[in-house]
Amino acid sequence: MNRTLRIPALALAILGCAPFGAAHAQNDKGKAIYDKVCVACHSAGIAGAPKLGDAKAWEPRIKAGIDALYESALKGKAPAMPAKGGATDVPDADIKAAVDYMVAAAKDGAPAAAATAPAGPAAQAAPATPTAPRPAALSFNRLLKPASKRNPPPPEDGIHDPDNDGTHALQPPLQVFESLPRSNAGNRVDWVKALDNNLIGPRWDRTDPAAAPVVMDLNIVREVKGSMPDVVYPHKQHTAWLDCSNCHPQIFIPQKGANQISMAAILLGQKCGVCHGKVAFPVSECRICHSKKKNVMPVKNAQAN
Amino acid sequence: MTIRHPGASWRGALAAALVVTICIGGIGTSGDARAEYADVVINNYSDAAGMRPVIFPHWFHRIRFRCKVCHADLGFQFKAGGNEINMVKIIDGQFCGACHNGDIAWSVENCNLCHSGKPGTPTQVHESTIQKLAIQPQAGGQQ
Ligand code: HEC
Ligand code: HEC
Ligand code: HEC
Ligand code: HEC
Ligand code: HEC
Ligand code: HEC
Ligand code: HEC
Repeated sequence: MNRTLRIPALALAILGCAPFGAAHAQNDKGKAIYDKVCVACHSAGIAGAPKLGDAKAWEPRIKAGIDALYESALKGKAPAMPAKGGATDVPDADIKAAVDYMVAAAKDGAPAAAATAPAGPAAQAAPATPTAPRPAALSFNRLLKPASKRNPPPPEDGIHDPDNDGTHALQPPLQVFESLPRSNAGNRVDWVKALDNNLIGPRWDRTDPAAAPVVMDLNIVREVKGSMPDVVYPHKQHTAWLDCSNCHPQIFIPQKGANQISMAAILLGQKCGVCHGKVAFPVSECRICHSKKKNVMPVKNAQAN
Repeated sequence: MTIRHPGASWRGALAAALVVTICIGGIGTSGDARAEYADVVINNYSDAAGMRPVIFPHWFHRIRFRCKVCHADLGFQFKAGGNEINMVKIIDGQFCGACHNGDIAWSVENCNLCHSGKPGTPTQVHESTIQKLAIQPQAGGQQ
């Protein structure tokens, strides 16, 4: 099967769809405005203007939220940032696009070199400073999310509105996770261990802190063709969190082998994927599910087929 | 013992399904999703009503309650946006209101603790399998 050929096709298809296309057009516009208007000050850092691609200078400003930045760019900011950079005839949307472009540059450092170099003659700009971060094209990890972006506090997570006072009252995940056993994916917390070791005490009943689940210790082994180890489905860890009715009969008929399960279904959010890859540990952790070695004596507490 | 899918058919189906989900889902307005795993944005009505979308943090609640309390006892379906939650139901003690009643947890007048999302953020579960696959092109799309 041409498995390897499908993946690039998929990636291309995703790239081609509207939201991404729009984002690109938006950024091109932003760059054009930047190169025409903003570059005069923001390239060399005239009068203390934060330089393009200078993550340090932009970080505290970005924290104030994109809307605050739009506001400054449109209305100006004392002492030296003029409204719309002085180009009052440029439409608001284009100024915002320029801000987006500058914010994106600060976040990934990429366009810093690219933008300052060709703009050379138009601006009294100095070339990229030695402190400028390396272009993203040369970064070590291109796709892997850096550790610094994991478990962000709500105001920085991209979905909470930093302009909302309530957002700043919410608890940052890391404040709690630091005291819990870590894992490699998802919340990066090993929730099974956290519960087993009594580090957390989630209630089984809304009001009664003493109510406890009836944990059922029954493993179901699902044989897997090919090289992947067989899957051991443990009722124990599930019934510690869930009710039988959460799975039976809606997701799984309670009868060994009666359910057709495949990785494709799981990736699409069905079967085990109803929870794994959404709330419980994600699909990337193959060996937590595919845990039974083949061609060896059956695991002691696993039920053989 | 297992009934197996006939060979390759799922791969095409998977690819198609992913593309559809991603294009319709739109990946949110941020384009820069790095929210905490399993944070759910609920925005069936909020935007239209001029409120910020609601963000429900699973990590925070599962430290305090097992899944069973919400998903069996209180009847939350396993589907982001699938419960038709609104404020009347909440003040009558359903859904979030079963706890956010000033007794088990702080009560409803703290609008901004729940309604804390960026306006326009669509209903979705953050960092889900499908979303993670979709985010990679964003990094690749810089050049
Ligand atoms: C005449 C010089 C000048 C020009 C031209 C200029 N800026 Fe600025 N800009 C500044 C200065 C100086 C600051 C720092 C203001 C401060 O924080 O005190 C600044 C700050 C900013 C900020 C951060 C504001 C904040 O709230 O932290 C943004 C965003 C910004 N400029 C956008 C733009 C855009 C977009 C353009 C082009 C349309 C532009 N600027 C053109 C001088 C300029
Ligand atoms: C089973 C009970 C329960 C239900 C149902 C529930 N919550 Fe909560 N929630 C709590 C408790 C307990 C707290 C902690 C309260 C405190 O700090 O005093 C909390 C806190 C929160 C917080 C604040 C987190 C922080 O960082 O401090 C938010 C936001 C929240 N809930 C949103 C929601 C939303 C939205 C819903 C409905 C979709 C919901 N909750 C349903 C029990 C519940
Ligand atoms: C997280 C989902 C989940 C939960 C919760 C769950 N089960 Fe299951 N159960 C399964 C799966 C998966 C199978 C295997 C089905 C298969 O092999 O096709 C299974 C199989 C079974 C079987 C068949 C065993 C056999 O040997 O044929 C029984 C009986 C059963 N479950 C009872 C329960 C009971 C009782 C509870 C609550 C205490 C429960 N389950 C909770 C997922 C779950
Ligand atoms: C209804 C939700 C749900 C479904 C469906 C579900 N799981 Fe889980 N699973 C959980 C939760 C919750 C945990 C606790 C750990 C966590 O949250 O990461 C867990 C834990 C596990 C663990 C134990 C991990 C450990 O560290 O010991 C394994 C193995 C596992 N699941 C495999 C499966 C398999 C295989 C299926 C499908 C046959 C499945 N699960 C279906 C919710 C679910
Ligand atoms: C949440 C549990 C879980 C995780 C995580 C998981 N798998 Fe699976 N996997 C299953 C189950 C269940 C089956 C179906 C077994 C059967 O046929 O009964 C399966 C089947 C498979 C198969 C057989 C072909 C098919 O599509 O059914 C392959 C290959 C496979 N998994 C690879 C992987 C790889 C690679 C990873 C890590 C990226 C992974 N799995 C992660 C549960 C999981
Ligand atoms: C415990 C969390 C929580 C609190 C606190 C809360 N809401 Fe909501 N609210 C929700 C949820 C969940 C929805 C459904 C969101 C959706 O689908 O868009 C909602 C929906 C709404 C809607 C649109 C649907 C409708 O019922 O008209 C409005 C308007 C609204 N809330 C206003 C408020 C106001 C005003 C407050 C403060 C007095 C408030 N909410 C406090 C959780 C909360
Ligand atoms: C305090 C209540 C609460 C607890 C505890 C809770 N959830 Fe949820 N869950 C929710 C709410 C609210 C939603 C969103 C429903 C909506 O948008 O209508 C949700 C949605 C989900 C979804 C649907 C995601 C999708 O595909 O759209 C899954 C799966 C899920 N929860 C699994 C779990 C698991 C597993 C646990 C235990 C580890 C858990 N939940 C604990 C309240 C809770």
